[in-house]
Amino acid sequence: MNWANVFLIFRREGMDQLRDRRTLFMVVVFPLLLYPIIGAGVLQFAAALQEKPRIVVVVGADRLPKEPALLTPDGTGFNPALFDSPAEAARLSVEIQPDAGRWATPEFREYAVRELDASAVMVVPADLPEQFAARADVSIPIHYRSVDENSKVTYLRLRELLDRWKGGIVEERRKEDKLPEGYAKPIEVRGLDAATTQEIGGSVWGRIFPFLLVLMSLTGAFYPAVDLCAGEKERGTMETLLISPAGRAEIVVGKFLAVLAASVTTAVLNLVSMGLTGLQLARRATAMGGGDGAGEAAAALAPPTLQSALWMVVLLVPLAAFFSAICLAVAAMARSMKEGQYYMTPLYLVCLPLIFMTMAPGIELNAFYSLVPVTGVALLLRALIVGDYATAFRYFVPVLLPTVIYAWLALRWAVEQFNDERVLFRESERFSLGSWLRGVIRDRAARPTSAQAVLCFALIITASWLFAQVVLSTGAGGLGVVAAGQAIILLVPLAMAFLLTTDPAGTLRLRRAAWRYFAIAIGAAVAVKPLSAEFERLVRWAFPLSDATKSVFESLLLGETPLPLAIAVFALVPAICEEAAFRGFILSGLRTGRRTRSAIVLSALLFGLLHVFLSLFQQFFHAAILGVLIGLIAVRSRSLWPGVAFHAVNNGLAVATGAWIATLERAGAAGWVYRDAENGLYHVPWVVVGGVVVGALVLHLWKYDRPDVGEA
Amino acid sequence: MIAVERLGKSFHDARRGWVEAVRDVAFECRPGEIFGLLGPNGAGKTTTLRMLSTVLKPTAGRAIVAGYDVVAAPEEVRRRIGFMSAGTGIYDRMTAWELVEYFGRLYGMPRDALRERMETVFDWLRMDDFRDVLGSKMSTGMKQKVSIARTIVHDPPVLIFDEPTSGLDVLVQRTVLDKILELRDMGKTVVFSTHSMSEVERLCSRVAVIYRGRLQAQGPIDELLATHGQPNVEELFFALIEKADAEAGAGAAS
Repeated sequence: MNWANVFLIFRREGMDQLRDRRTLFMVVVFPLLLYPIIGAGVLQFAAALQEKPRIVVVVGADRLPKEPALLTPDGTGFNPALFDSPAEAARLSVEIQPDAGRWATPEFREYAVRELDASAVMVVPADLPEQFAARADVSIPIHYRSVDENSKVTYLRLRELLDRWKGGIVEERRKEDKLPEGYAKPIEVRGLDAATTQEIGGSVWGRIFPFLLVLMSLTGAFYPAVDLCAGEKERGTMETLLISPAGRAEIVVGKFLAVLAASVTTAVLNLVSMGLTGLQLARRATAMGGGDGAGEAAAALAPPTLQSALWMVVLLVPLAAFFSAICLAVAAMARSMKEGQYYMTPLYLVCLPLIFMTMAPGIELNAFYSLVPVTGVALLLRALIVGDYATAFRYFVPVLLPTVIYAWLALRWAVEQFNDERVLFRESERFSLGSWLRGVIRDRAARPTSAQAVLCFALIITASWLFAQVVLSTGAGGLGVVAAGQAIILLVPLAMAFLLTTDPAGTLRLRRAAWRYFAIAIGAAVAVKPLSAEFERLVRWAFPLSDATKSVFESLLLGETPLPLAIAVFALVPAICEEAAFRGFILSGLRTGRRTRSAIVLSALLFGLLHVFLSLFQQFFHAAILGVLIGLIAVRSRSLWPGVAFHAVNNGLAVATGAWIATLERAGAAGWVYRDAENGLYHVPWVVVGGVVVGALVLHLWKYDRPDVGEA
Repeated sequence: MIAVERLGKSFHDARRGWVEAVRDVAFECRPGEIFGLLGPNGAGKTTTLRMLSTVLKPTAGRAIVAGYDVVAAPEEVRRRIGFMSAGTGIYDRMTAWELVEYFGRLYGMPRDALRERMETVFDWLRMDDFRDVLGSKMSTGMKQKVSIARTIVHDPPVLIFDEPTSGLDVLVQRTVLDKILELRDMGKTVVFSTHSMSEVERLCSRVAVIYRGRLQAQGPIDELLATHGQPNVEELFFALIEKADAEAGAGAAS
């Protein structure tokens, strides 16, 4: 790759975006305007929600005792000592009316609540002083309207207020009777909030921020990507660029960097604008009140700390890279800006649920979410904003690394799109399903296409899922179901190979293989075992299994099944079915128009994903790595069968481990082989020997034993 | 300088299956010569020239341009050709100077040599008065000049023009054709496609008539007229097309 060209293209595209008013608006102006507007809206909203002073008419106030005081001395409000804060006291104002004339009638008091300004009318009974003196209980009627929100709130406040006042009266009586303190109040609840001011602020922002930030970096990538691909095709400059000496990869990387810059800029400007708005709002809130409510508001609106902001930027770059590459690859298909916009909806539809996770309560970052594209980053952003640094730092690398890998894969896809003249010079044609299907069958080639390979994978997943639903609803179980599930994995590639290719046997690699490949495959399967055991331990340590899943798997493996049957169902059948699908149809399809190396890795990733969907997420890594190994064997031997042998031996060893260890223990040899027989961990020398053997076999296949080179 | 042998290109079309857009095309073009590719719209001219410019990969045959195979060494080919077509537009948000400079840099020209070359080219095309005008503000004639400047900024030995005059008014057409003639006189190898007979008569020493994706005839214009017994290029063109249609009809019927 010529980096001078990449830089030239990046500079031009970047400058082009800076000169484009639409992009500038979306990338720079929109975020800078959005948050102050949202902020102002929030303030207005808060102001509207702020409680207006409510009027309580107190009828017969002259009957109230001096101590404890219910009203202020001037009689315009309630005694502030009865409230949490003076600000709250100010929200209830009092209007004193004599218990005579119209106020003496309940009808007028009700009328006052219904039609006049009074939110509630409280009546002090005529016999109150006497009853107090007699230490009897008194009932105080309060008129209010439950359907009027204002009146109802006032009523609840009054009750709370009178409760405290009552406490004061009881206290007076206690003093008079010289009873011990606490006699009348055996329990007092005191809530202590452990959240720091930052956390209170973070929990509010923490839900909204990641959502907006991720969305903005997607939006920031999408518009430039459409402009730089579809827009260029539409304006007729794409071909101008394609005939320059710059290679396709250079063009894509140059454009990608420009889109990335736009996306990161959008996200960072959003971050800055949000932060400044938050700061401003927090100040306003503090300046307005000074009471507890204002303090809480200030805390809720306070921006994230500078430190977490920096980490967010670090995290946003790979996410923006992922979005940029995806957007470029998608936009490359569009012929015009208008068509490009159409592609935006599905992209958003896929991304939004992934981002919404951060808004959902109870979803915390864990090992699984850390691997989910977009969601992992969004949840980590939330942890950073909330100030949960323990979680944030534990998952920083597990989130960052997959995101970087996804971004790299997406970029590869974009380069592939640009290398595909069918994508670049796509012409509109009328689509008719019938003729398209006829065309697919009529014009089939010897090998499937990449798209058909991916379709095969998707069909396997869907069919298996539907099958699982049926099994669940009928309550069927047992080995038969396991075998039937495997049959589905076999049927899909088999049907597709016969329908879509002219050479199904070649596609599925149903050829004879030289005997040495069987030896290599079986040798590798045995030698890799000590390594797998170590690796599995590592994976289980990083992503522990729940006890429930563990017991389910143990019951499956260590059930009453006789060993030969278990080996047949768990080793032989999956070996044939999964190999036909993944090393047969899918690998053949992925090799069309791609380097062997990439095809093997991609098919191995899909193989890993199969295990995520059909069994356990923890099996992904193991399956993917073994997938690479078997893929290499399949490609070099030009046959499915050595891979089947590897797969069967590998699974067979896993199924028979228990029986094997028991045999060894009876012979007294287990101590020689295993350092931890219970977990199947071998002694270190065995692990080293296994590693050396596997390494040598891979090198042999990769570098020297290559009879397949040159074949299509 | 350009040698094309049995070049073919098939596209996959969902409705019709594999369609041969170009088949068995063969011709040669030497320095100091303008080779004309004459054909109606959809005859396969653009596809052929796009294969020569390495943007499309041929599905059959081969083509050597400026000494390099278009499939084996596409980057070397692109370095040595100038390509201009109706599809190669100019950037709206770049000035004439910036655009030509950008492509000059992509061709790997050193800064000083590029500046010197650009002065020469801008002078030759009389573009100095709109150096700093943005693409979006240019007239069609200006745009066409910028495209020519972009095509020749790296002084390539081979030039490919795919219908460079389509959609232009007569004044601009004349300028473009004059410049192409001047380029020929500078010793460039020029391939030129058009559907205009008069342009062929004016420019080309040798011509090939392409129709239905195949070359129907090729050679020096005088020879072609004599062999087919036609008075002028226009009559020759229609005679060849009728013949091709008749053959295709017979082929379909048999």
